[in-house]
Amino acid sequence: MLKYIAKRIILMIPVLILMTLIVFAIFYFAPGDPVSRIAGPNVTQEVYESIQRKYGLDQPFIVQYHRFIRSVAEGDLGISILQHRPVIEMIKERLPVTLQIGLLGFVITFVIAVPAGVIAAVKKNTAFDYLCMSGTLLGIAIPTFWLGMLLLYVFAYKLRWFPISGDGSLRQLILPGFAIGLTNAAITARMVRSSMLDVLKQDYVRTARSKGLYEKAVVYRHALKNALIPIITLMGLRLGWILGGSVALEIIFSIPGLGRLMVDSILSRDFPVVQGAMMVLTSSIILANVLADILYAVVDPRIKYG
Amino acid sequence: MKGNKIRKILVVILAVLMLVSSAAGCSQKAGSGAKEKVLAIGYDQDSDIMDTMKTAWYSDALIYIHDRLVTRDYEFGYQPGLAQQWDVSDDGKTWIFHLRKDVKFHDGKEFTAEDVKWTIDTIKDPDTASPFSGDLDAIKEVNIVDKHTVEMVLNYPFPNLLYNLSATASGIHPANAYEKYGDDYGRKVVIGTGPYKLEEWIPGDKTVLVKNNDYNWGPDWMSNKGPALIDKIVLKIIPDENSRLMELEVGGIHILRNVPESSVEKLDNNPDITVHKRPATKLGYLAYATDKEPFTDVRVRRAINHALNREEIIQFVLRGIGEVAYGYLPPALKDEYLQESKDLAYEYNPEKARQLLAEAGYPDGLELTLSADNSSKSSKLAEIIQNQLKAVNINAKIQLYDSAGYADMLREGKQELFIREYSWSNADIIDWFLLSSRFPYPNHSRWVDDKSDELITYAAQRPTWDERAEAYKDVQRYLIEQAVWAPVYIPMHMIAVRKEVKNFKFHPWMLQYSDGFDLEVE
Repeated sequence: MLKYIAKRIILMIPVLILMTLIVFAIFYFAPGDPVSRIAGPNVTQEVYESIQRKYGLDQPFIVQYHRFIRSVAEGDLGISILQHRPVIEMIKERLPVTLQIGLLGFVITFVIAVPAGVIAAVKKNTAFDYLCMSGTLLGIAIPTFWLGMLLLYVFAYKLRWFPISGDGSLRQLILPGFAIGLTNAAITARMVRSSMLDVLKQDYVRTARSKGLYEKAVVYRHALKNALIPIITLMGLRLGWILGGSVALEIIFSIPGLGRLMVDSILSRDFPVVQGAMMVLTSSIILANVLADILYAVVDPRIKYG
Repeated sequence: MKGNKIRKILVVILAVLMLVSSAAGCSQKAGSGAKEKVLAIGYDQDSDIMDTMKTAWYSDALIYIHDRLVTRDYEFGYQPGLAQQWDVSDDGKTWIFHLRKDVKFHDGKEFTAEDVKWTIDTIKDPDTASPFSGDLDAIKEVNIVDKHTVEMVLNYPFPNLLYNLSATASGIHPANAYEKYGDDYGRKVVIGTGPYKLEEWIPGDKTVLVKNNDYNWGPDWMSNKGPALIDKIVLKIIPDENSRLMELEVGGIHILRNVPESSVEKLDNNPDITVHKRPATKLGYLAYATDKEPFTDVRVRRAINHALNREEIIQFVLRGIGEVAYGYLPPALKDEYLQESKDLAYEYNPEKARQLLAEAGYPDGLELTLSADNSSKSSKLAEIIQNQLKAVNINAKIQLYDSAGYADMLREGKQELFIREYSWSNADIIDWFLLSSRFPYPNHSRWVDDKSDELITYAAQRPTWDERAEAYKDVQRYLIEQAVWAPVYIPMHMIAVRKEVKNFKFHPWMLQYSDGFDLEVE
């Protein structure tokens, strides 16, 4: 098991290198560079070039890429061209709030989705099931940012229960957390329901019932445990969605998180920052998938990693 | 028994009274704490570094942290700032600045000639790579005459030095700030002599300024020369436009700069909010690569000018909030703007446009590309211009870019027709965009013309401000005749202010919060 985890983590390295190479190439060859932002619209060509030289942006691709890789190896992920400080420091400032929103969204997702999915499966073809399923259809159709705007309008602007723009308090996390949670709960609930329905058809469930077990014990002790296995995979995959979804939400709710750092840096072409943020995102998605694989083995003794 | 009951009641009453009075005491305390006047302003984006010398994209906070040698009053006139007075030699090449003697930096250090020299030398030092260095090209050297007198020797007469020294980027820093504060300078520490001090900056979130209680060197044109009345200013970054407007409506922010045209009607109907409008020192224009066919022909350039129905554009793009532009400068620059621009320029006349195109050898019209940045305003502008050009047989294909990509494309010279809006409060914008020495960047319209160079250089190097202003009028006359651009509109500078803000004064350039602005707090 440990060997397996070590292998997965070592495999991250080529993925990350490939990712940085792609991002770097996009920024190198795409039009625009950070100097336009530093310089503003009215500078002479000489000043423009002197700024370019100062930040080493006049150097060939391979030199610039090498410099970036070296700074990654040194652990500071490079220096922001616009902010003149280590990227790692900027990420440390921005990451916690994004993780908090993501975590809250994650919790809300499963608190809503698991019971809703299970009950809908157990009470298949009843009014509750139909209500749940049409609700989830709506949830899938609504984009996260739109739900975020709606929540902001109703609960912050009209009812004034929450701050409109981030104020640094924990209260600021609730609306974006719900925006993520509700939209993700929709798709998760459908998965739980269908997986539960599959399990409920299995022989061992029939055996459990014929043994005379209470329906509750059948559903929660025997069926749910097995139905959750595909859900764990889904959890790992959804993490990427959740982090990605928070980009738009951080803009709508004025929360200075990692997503906004990334968008701002893309627009101003501050590529060391984009690289750093991408590395954090990529690694966390890979790690979440590794974690899901490990959980697999924990939940299902049949799965073993050699 | 009865007496006992009464006693009980008395005890209860007493207890209630004590509670109430203690609660009142509490609320009084809370009240005195809440009396701190905190003004919140909304912005769409933050700057990257809190240092006027290292970026052109500086935070408004720096306007209030630093003072400058020269200030500009409510009428846009040049007035003393940190320099009490200045003398210019007859040839216009030596300027002596007499500095105030009563000024202290936020760190307690006395303000002297050394600080002025260090600031200007640092901006001009190529190692700083300051985007502002080009603006100080005229300065050859800065000499310290005595502790409170500075001499600036210029390469050529340059009355516009007043403008450059009054710019935000000319804020005076304490000498050797970089050595003293190291990497923290521009991040955690910024030292100036201004009415507000930096308390905290959380990049991308907010900047908190706290008033400088020692400040009593406000310029003479201000009604308040002492410390500001508002205790703190919070510059809050709210990237989403709708969220900014909602915050203004609920009072989360008191002032919103750059109000979008689309929200003016709604805000005007809100009794708590006043939208102040003045023509901005901005110009929106349609330009073209004048070194490429068919734009090398002045008849084509004039035809394009005749093809534009500017009123319709302002209705469609700016919801009618803006003014028609015919000249090359914003009329708000009273001294320099050529008043007869409208009479000299090209009125809307599609028939004449078609005729000019035919004369130029394009009777069947033209196929061109029209580039713009991808903001909703620019893309709307591109659409309507495309439509109006179509009416005179010019088929323009629209090409949109993001802002960094757009600047790059212009630098590489791929443009044919393109849309720009500049924001600048000085006639030297003409130098930036149209001198041949600025080709190809920032001379995007690729205008290389000896007569223009001669007229512009002559104007820029007049020894006095008035002569300079007059000479720039000749420049504008020539540019209109040559139809170098097709000027389109002057947008409105709009600032929304909530009712809690008292003594609001509209400054054409930058709001002067230290000049008696007050805030009503509950």
